[in-house]
Amino acid sequence: MAPPTLLPASQLSPADALAVAQQAPAFLRSSPATVSSSPLNTLLYGSEKSELWLQYENLILTCLRTGDDTAAHAALRRVVSRFGDDNERVQALQGLVKEAEAQNDGELEKVLKEYNQILSVNDTNIPVAKRRIALLRSLGRVSEAASALVQLLDFSPTDSEAWSELSDIYLSQGLYSQAIYAIEEVLVLAPNAWNIHARLGELQFMAATAPGVANGSYQQYLAEAIKRFSRSVELCDDYLRGYYGLKLISKRLLADGSKPTKQGDGNEFVVPDTNTLERLNELATAKLAEIVRRSSTKERGWGGYSDTEIAAARELLAEDESPIKR
Amino acid sequence: MTLLSKTITTFGSLFLAHACYSAREHAALQSLRAATSASLTSSPTAASSLPIDIVIETIVSTFIILLGLVLGTRPLRPLEWRVWAGKIEREGEQGFTDNSGVVDKDYMGNPFAVLESRPNFVDIRKQRRQFAKWVQEGSGKQGQ
Repeated sequence: MAPPTLLPASQLSPADALAVAQQAPAFLRSSPATVSSSPLNTLLYGSEKSELWLQYENLILTCLRTGDDTAAHAALRRVVSRFGDDNERVQALQGLVKEAEAQNDGELEKVLKEYNQILSVNDTNIPVAKRRIALLRSLGRVSEAASALVQLLDFSPTDSEAWSELSDIYLSQGLYSQAIYAIEEVLVLAPNAWNIHARLGELQFMAATAPGVANGSYQQYLAEAIKRFSRSVELCDDYLRGYYGLKLISKRLLADGSKPTKQGDGNEFVVPDTNTLERLNELATAKLAEIVRRSSTKERGWGGYSDTEIAAARELLAEDESPIKR
Repeated sequence: MTLLSKTITTFGSLFLAHACYSAREHAALQSLRAATSASLTSSPTAASSLPIDIVIETIVSTFIILLGLVLGTRPLRPLEWRVWAGKIEREGEQGFTDNSGVVDKDYMGNPFAVLESRPNFVDIRKQRRQFAKWVQEGSGKQGQ
């Protein structure tokens, strides 16, 4: 097994991250210390693989996360010797290492100043700009981070990752409609992303259940949420997250009773009628039950779900069953 | 699975090599016979074709090799988007292995998961704290 996978480092569970970090020295030993891009070397040793550098990047992230700074530095040295100090992505990585090793806020301020200096020379240095925003957010200056991010999106409006971060920042501030707007921008850029559809549904649900929401917009949010979750399960078979949301919301709408909804003016979503809701609820319940049953018996080909998600689905199903038993 | 396909391919290759050898031997024999018969009698012999058993052996061995190669291919990926996406969610990396059970190199899970994990905006100090906490909890559990 090649230790640092191509999977993004932040998707690893702590145990996996630890395993990767423990194999880091072996990986560093097994791969060449310097890679030159000269044609002679390419002839002699074969061409360098672009995955190698992705692996190094992930390795740095994982090692920093587990606190293995020596391995992170060793990996960083190789990246620097290959791409040089002035590469934008390398600059961001160097900043990341400094951030991770900073002991107090003073050192972080110093890192922030370095970022500002790099950006004053070249303010389209997107990796460093993103690091600066992340650092500002980490320091608790959320509004500054948000305005910097909006500025970044001004000149780079097709950056779906940045839109997604903006949505997360707005959500942390409780600005639901802005968060929904930003995640809708992500969907414009990645219309087939089933997890983003589910995320949008979750945001709509959060907005609907937030305190102080008018009844009209409450129904509006829930109606849209149900469409988003439906789209996510349409894009992805057996999507636990999508079915969970679908069940949650259809149950809620059914419990609310069929209040008369004003007919929208065409471009508004309307809550589906009770019949449709019941069928959606049944479908979601059946699918969730199947997923939980097959996954908990460790059936072959059903091992992709995380245990916490399965546990949550089981709880939701149990809530449903308890009134019948009584 | 791989052993089976390799065995079949090897056998097919052996048969094919044997067929080639037979054809060559046959041609050599024919030319020798033609030379001797030409010296004895001057009657021209009809241009002889390959015997039917060599032809059949060649064709059959080609199909055996094809069968072996087809059996050795990795499982095909789903074509439909929702089936493919469902496979990622349902099976995880177990669904994307080759015949010997090694996870494909280009497997990267849900390609849109980066939109939620956002590696370029990672808050590394928070991750460090969380990891340290996880380690502490783990060692606490082990100590009990």
